[in-house]
Amino acid sequence: MTRSLLLLAAGAVLAFPQDPSAMLKRGEQVFSQTCATGYCHGARGASGGAPRLAARGFNRAYIMGVVVRGIPNSGMQSFEGRLPDADLAAVIAYVAALNGVANPAAGLGPAATGASGPQLNGEAARGALLFREAVRGFGRCSTCHEVGGFGIPVAGPISQVPASVDALKSLATPNVKTGTIDGASMPVLVLSDGKQGAQFYDLGATPPVQRNTLPGEAKFSAGSAWRHASVITAYSDAELDAILDYLRAVAQP
Amino acid sequence: MRLFLALFALSAALAQDAGPTHADWPSYGGTDFSWRYSALDQINASNVQSLAPVWMFQTGDYAENLQATPIVQDGVLYLITARARVFALDAATGREIWNYRYPDPPRPVPGFVGNRGLAVGGGKVFFGTKDNYLVALDQKTGRLLWRVNIDDAQQCGCNITAAPLVVQDKVIVGGTGGDSAHRGYLTAFSTNNGHLAWRWYVVPGPGEKGHETWKGDSWIFGGGAPWLTGSYDAALNLLYWGTGNAAADFYDARRVPTGADKNKNLNLYTASVVALDPDTGKLRWFHQEVPGDIWDYDSAYEVLLMDLQIRGRTRQALVHMNKSGLTSVLDRTNGELLGVFSVPEVRTWVTGITEDGKLVGRNEPQLGKSTAICPSAAGAKSWNSMAYSPRTGLIYVPVNEMCNDITPNNNPAEEGENYMNGDFPIRLIPGRATNSHIDAWDPATGKRVWSVPYKYVLLASMLATAGNLVFTGNPEGEFFALDAAKGNKLWSFQTGAGHRGASVAYSVNGREYIATSTGWHSSVVGGAVQALFPDQDWRLGSSLVVFALPEGSAK
Repeated sequence: MTRSLLLLAAGAVLAFPQDPSAMLKRGEQVFSQTCATGYCHGARGASGGAPRLAARGFNRAYIMGVVVRGIPNSGMQSFEGRLPDADLAAVIAYVAALNGVANPAAGLGPAATGASGPQLNGEAARGALLFREAVRGFGRCSTCHEVGGFGIPVAGPISQVPASVDALKSLATPNVKTGTIDGASMPVLVLSDGKQGAQFYDLGATPPVQRNTLPGEAKFSAGSAWRHASVITAYSDAELDAILDYLRAVAQP
Repeated sequence: MRLFLALFALSAALAQDAGPTHADWPSYGGTDFSWRYSALDQINASNVQSLAPVWMFQTGDYAENLQATPIVQDGVLYLITARARVFALDAATGREIWNYRYPDPPRPVPGFVGNRGLAVGGGKVFFGTKDNYLVALDQKTGRLLWRVNIDDAQQCGCNITAAPLVVQDKVIVGGTGGDSAHRGYLTAFSTNNGHLAWRWYVVPGPGEKGHETWKGDSWIFGGGAPWLTGSYDAALNLLYWGTGNAAADFYDARRVPTGADKNKNLNLYTASVVALDPDTGKLRWFHQEVPGDIWDYDSAYEVLLMDLQIRGRTRQALVHMNKSGLTSVLDRTNGELLGVFSVPEVRTWVTGITEDGKLVGRNEPQLGKSTAICPSAAGAKSWNSMAYSPRTGLIYVPVNEMCNDITPNNNPAEEGENYMNGDFPIRLIPGRATNSHIDAWDPATGKRVWSVPYKYVLLASMLATAGNLVFTGNPEGEFFALDAAKGNKLWSFQTGAGHRGASVAYSVNGREYIATSTGWHSSVVGGAVQALFPDQDWRLGSSLVVFALPEGSAK
């Protein structure tokens, strides 16, 4: 998105099919939830703690630059990556409209729908929510896996989605080793082990702890008593099934 | 009987000894009692005129502010910057002993740039990060030992800006997120290896006591994040923490059960002071200051533990201020309300407060309408701490007099996104020449003893010392000392950047030092209030300035 925004700012007009009124409506919604709130720009950009944005004579290139890059030494941070691309485009169009820009949505990309990523069917969509469901605390999948921008990448990317819940529970995890420090043993995922010392995740507790040790301080041996089945107990089998549907839907071919 | 009396006297003496700091400044609030009071008196009201800078330290992290309270232990000063760059400095000279630079988060994360302090204990230095990790360094070398993620920052719309608190073998940390669609919590980890010890959710889940004070599923995004640092009484083995406001902030129809009584215990345990068992994280007692808050009046601020003479009896008390300036005095053994008073001069959110803490005449913002509410959501006091001097028996509080015009909306919750549900432009109060004041209050009587007005706003923490002095700074860059008994200004120094942090007192080899962080914060409250004074250019920065009396001049 940044690249396309900057291209546009440089004069290249990108043509996407769109519905300008839907985009402005979404922009207003995003603005009211993100920019108008807190100690910031106020409803319809009329000013809060931060400066007024309505009727300032801003052009779109300026608005895009500020939204994407932020303003150094101020409270205005970069929103790149903080908002889905479609929402970024929508809010730029909305602020442009507040400044009287004619055709504020023109060329700003597909109409924002509020959804990002692939469209998911019912079970997969439920699985997506279960994967990261906050009420499960540290028992959720996203405590150790990052998928679709959610979660903490303790484990590497999921390369193969297990075929069934049983397969998920009996998943072989040869990369989990046994680490020993000061006579205490724990299951570990080793990130590096060399002359500088070792860096690894201690899986002896949830959430996992990333630990750094001096050379020779930690010893690692193959195999461990750690089982994937014992860390997914916050979910029923039906829920795990939905999560697998989700992972299949987003898996890279 | 004699043995019993002797034991009693011993425990009472311990309680008063736990408040003041001496050569070190061991914890965010000074000691775990959070007085921000030093027993040092080499620098005092009779010689403070000679106080001069002896060293300063520029952190290099200049894009924003320096808010952190330094920690001093055995002649070493530990400091963290807005972007989590950590320094160990020789506290007498400023010489760098080690530094550690936390990597910038690989993904964009929500929240402003700022860090309010680190903790030192068990041979380690602990701090929280913008991407929601609690980090442990080796105290001697600054080497990274472990780090653990407390939540996906982008999903929860939360992170850590508060200093952690070390209690015995645990390090406990609160997070932000009270204004996001999020459910707040405190989390405790083993200082040794970062293993989770417990998590306590501010908002009780299904089946837990207090859950019935939430309507439907509103508890899931009920807010209440305890975003500052708590206190600890080792003799009672109780951990005290203040909790944040309920979410959504300005619109409560989704979270208040139909027919609920707004006089007591609503949307628990938000806007409360809680006492937890530090070993298990279990709730021992609570006192809710603002039931069913609808003004963004957090109770997340510092908790001062002190013994007070109240109605002729010595009470093991705590003093706690809500963002509204409503201040509770509680029996810290059981949460019994001993007294309550309100600090701001202009107050429109309630018409009064009864002796037993009930709010009278709630002035609630209505959906789609603008209602003038004072004090503003920026707070009668902001997050910066007050101080308490046992010599004067007074608490020292920076108070701001501002209002906001709140217009609530009923936007739906989206996880991790802003969930204030309202527009609340902050404004000055017409007809006032001054917009803030430093107050001294007697917490035992609820009476204001003195008050010193100031033109702009006051957003730096207070420091009290046995030298009969109170130190703080203002946004114009002035760092100054007041007479603790009377409030008159005895000394000041222009540090060159606005004050949004804290000052501490310590000594090395018998010489007393006063250190203050400098560097204005132009986001959140700092930015909102600066916009009210468009002719002012309060400077950002990130420097520590350290003062002492000229060598050889001390008694």
